[in-house]
Order: sequence, then structure tokens, then C-alpha cells
Amino acid sequence: MRTRTREKYQSANKLAHSKATALLRYVALVAALLFSLAPVYWMLTISLKTEVEQFASPPPWFVFTPTLEHYYDAFVARGFGDYLLTSAIVAVASTACALIIGTLAAYALARFELPWRLNRRLSLWILSTRMFPAIVTAVPLFLMMRDLRLLNTRASLIIVYTGFNLPFVVWMMRGFFADLPRDLEEAALVDGDSRLGALVRVVLPLVTPGLAATAVFCLIVSWNEFLFALVLTQTDAAMTLPVGIAGRVTQYEIKWGVMSAAASVAIIPILVFALSVQKYLVRGLSMGAVKG
Amino acid sequence: MQKSRRFFSALNKRELLLPALFLAPALAVLLALSIYPLIYSITISLQQETVAGITWGLGNFARLFSDNFFLTALGHTFIYAISALVCEFLLGLGLALLLNNQIRGRGVFRASLLIPMMLPSVVVGVVWRLMLNPNFGSINGTLKQIGINTESLTWTASPKLAMLSVIAVDVWQWTPFVFLVLLAGLQAIPQEPYEAALIDGSSRWQTFWHVTLPLLKPSILIVLLLRTMDLLRVFDQIFILTEGGPGFATETISLYIYRTAFRFFDFGYAAAMSFVLLALTNVISAIYIRLIQAEPN
Repeated sequence: MRTRTREKYQSANKLAHSKATALLRYVALVAALLFSLAPVYWMLTISLKTEVEQFASPPPWFVFTPTLEHYYDAFVARGFGDYLLTSAIVAVASTACALIIGTLAAYALARFELPWRLNRRLSLWILSTRMFPAIVTAVPLFLMMRDLRLLNTRASLIIVYTGFNLPFVVWMMRGFFADLPRDLEEAALVDGDSRLGALVRVVLPLVTPGLAATAVFCLIVSWNEFLFALVLTQTDAAMTLPVGIAGRVTQYEIKWGVMSAAASVAIIPILVFALSVQKYLVRGLSMGAVKG
Repeated sequence: MQKSRRFFSALNKRELLLPALFLAPALAVLLALSIYPLIYSITISLQQETVAGITWGLGNFARLFSDNFFLTALGHTFIYAISALVCEFLLGLGLALLLNNQIRGRGVFRASLLIPMMLPSVVVGVVWRLMLNPNFGSINGTLKQIGINTESLTWTASPKLAMLSVIAVDVWQWTPFVFLVLLAGLQAIPQEPYEAALIDGSSRWQTFWHVTLPLLKPSILIVLLLRTMDLLRVFDQIFILTEGGPGFATETISLYIYRTAFRFFDFGYAAAMSFVLLALTNVISAIYIRLIQAEPN
């Protein structure tokens, strides 16, 4: 219906005009695609090229002899396998913690009527904690973790990422709960279920898609996070993949192949995740402010 | 009968215990990881190490005003944030307007645009170091191939081009986000105003200016708010691309705070500077939020 009216609107314009727009549209589309993807593609080729071909001039965009030596070098000969494991453990553990704690809070904010307008006030306060620039809390968190003797442990990152993801989980889940009609829970309560029972048996199954999307966003954020990981972990025991890669970048002699191989592996889970939450992407990236 | 009475009481009575139990863990975590660190940060910002031991006072805050590095970093942060914001907004809006129609391959297009913005920022840094490297980077290599002299194009290594380079990288990564939010906003606009504009015989430009833009304003404000907050605290990509250099050319406030705390171990001064950043982001977000709340919905 909407498209048809829009087409009608367009047909009112000059035909030549709309043809030019159509052409412009496709040119813009192709340019944007090339601009977005070419740099990432270039990194992939560097990770697969021998050192001679990495430095070849003119740069070989398409024709080169692929090799996996840099992947072997990074993940078998050097410590990137460990960094990968740390990144995975930290991301999964912190996501699980944030989801459990955050979903309960979100349900309370969405479904109970709290005194002193606490629903709104607490929600806004929780959101505001997410707005702190990371560096502001990184300095005191470093000192706190030092006092607790948790520097260079995975536990420190799991704790910090849980806190970092929590406001996001609360806001996203609050939105998903609010989208759900109340009748279903009321029916469950009529059937003699408790509030907790209604949440677990009736509400949670219905918000599973939202819960899954929220979990994927938390995994992405934890997987990508750099500043806290840089500040809190400096040894191989607890270094995440981004910190490992960054450590190689700032050394004097840069192993471009190793670095590209590690970076290419780091984006694989992200690509899978991002494509799986496409539908919720705008909503997730705007903390639920835009329901696109 | 019994059941229905229970149902009414369960929904009408103000339950407090259960929501309190549900909220307690989240509030405890946020107090421990957001509020306590802030208080801790205030106390260390009020301490200065001197030969005589630790003294308390506003010394760290007084230092801010005479520290040229701090003021320069603050200036860089504004240049970075404003330039990137303007470019991302104009490009994102342009793309959204162009593609707000049924076109073939939109799904593929959307999916491909996701890639830059979902990448770990460290990977973005790596990707662009490989592109911009003056010796073997594909940008200079390709330019040379088509006969352009690239000797002076040292990008991140040049004091003049370094800031431009890091801004371009941000634009590359985040324009798709602006585009997606604005596209979602455009598609939520009802058709009636357009039909009315058509009947009134308004031109394309008039329709855009008087119909599209005002109706898109809430989405515009939200996306500008989110981008501004991220831009003001930028750290990761610049750290990888230039580490604030060459010299001090791309040092933003977050990088300077990091350097002060973790290279010079002057935590008190770093904490004092971080409060300036916090105040700045709070004031700016408050302005945006006021504008957003002034919107009809």
C-alpha cells in the first residue's frame, strides 16, 4: 500500500528525473558497497599472502598465491590461540551473568508498579551508567582490581563486562517485555501460577527471540571491547584477542601477516553474530531507542 | 471464584518484595562497578603525591587550566567529533534518502554495510593501517598505479594528514549506522503528509524540507546523540592507528588520560581530566535529551 502511493508520488515527477535518480541510486549503492568491503577484503588478502607479495608493487588485489603460514604462525607458534580462548570465555561468561541479572531487573521495571516513580527513575539511572565514557571508569577500576589482586585475570574482565553489558540488557529486555501483552501473564496467574512461575513458563519463552538478540549483542560488545582489556590485562594469562593484536601493532617490527591473520579470525564470530541479529540491529545499536 | 480473587489481588496490590529481589542484583552490580569507581575516582583526583607525602586539595584540577597538552587534546577531540559527525550525518542521510525505496539487492546491501560497524575497533585499526601504509598500503599502491605521485601522502605518519586519516576511518566505520537508523526513521513516516504535499503541488525540495526533515527529526536527534557520545570518548582506533601521533597530532582526551594514568602513573591527574570529559558528555547529552523530549512523541 505504502509503496504504491510512493510510486504514484514519484510518477508525478518528470520521467527523466526519476531515471537519473535510479541511476544515481545504483551508483551510490555500488560505491558504498566497495567502500565498505574493500578494506576488509584487503586485510584478508594480506593474511593469505607471502611476505614478498605483501610488499609487492603495484598491490596485488586479486592475483596472488595464497598461503596459510601466517595463521599457523599466529595460532600455533605464537600465543593467539590462548587469546582466542580467553576472549571466548570472557564473552560467554559475562554475557550469561549480564543476561540473568539484567532480565530479572528488566522484568521488575516493566511489570511491577513501583513506588516513588521508581520505574522511570531507576531505568534512566541504569541507562546513565552506560553513558559514562569508558576511560572515566577504567582508571578507578584498574586501581580497584589492583587492590583486589585481580589484575591479569579473566575474572576481572568477566566482572567488568558484566557491569558494562547490564544496562544494555535491562533496556533491551524492558522493551521486549513491554511489547508483550499483559493478558498472557494474567491468564497464567489466574491459573494459579506464581509471578516467578509466570515469568519462567509464560513470558520468557515468548521473549526468546529478543533474549537471543540481546545475548548476541552482549557477546559482540564483550568480544570487541578493547580499553578495559588493555588496562586490566597485560600478560598472556588473561589477554584477549584485541589486546593481543594491539600488542603486535605497536611493536617496532610489525608482523603484518600474523596480525592480519589474527584480526581475520577475530571477525569470524562477529560476522556470524551480526548476520543473525540483523532484524534487531538498529534497535540494539540504539539501546532500544529506535525500533527499526 | 477463589482463583479470580487471587488474580485481582496479585495485579492490583503493590508488590514490593518480589520486584526488590529482582532488582537487587542489578543495582548491586551497578553500584559496585559504576558508582563506587566514580567515588573512588573523586578521592584520587583530590590527592597529589609530593615529596612530603600525599596532600589533599584541588591541585589536579588547577593544573588542567595551565596544561597545554590537555587543552590541545580537548581541541583535537572537538575537531574529531564535529568533523566526523557532520560527514557521517550528511553521508548517512543522503544514502538513506536514496535507498528509501524498493530496490533489488537491498538485503545484501544492508548485510554488507553491517560489516564495518560490527568489527572490533582494533581490527578497524589494523585494516586501515594496512590500507594507509605509505610503503605497501593499497591506497598509495593503487594511486601510484594510476600515475599519481604519492610521496607526500604519508597519511597517519604525516602531522598534516593524520587527523584527516583517523576521521576518515571513523566515517568509514560509522556512516552505515547513521544510515540504518535514518532509514528506519524514514520508513516509519506515514504516507499521508506526502500525499498532502503532492496535492498541494509542492516541489521535491519543499517536500523534503517541510515534510521529511521535520518528521525525521526524532531519529536524527537520537542518532546524533549516540554518535556524539561515542566520538567524544574515542580511543581504540586512534590508539591502534597513530597512538595519538605523530607527535601529538591526533591525541584526543581519552588517549591523553590513558597516557597520564598508565604511562606516567599519575592517576590523580588522570582522574581529574576524566571528570572534565564526563562533565562534557553529560552537558552535551543533556542538551540532546532536552531536544528529544521537546519532540511531540
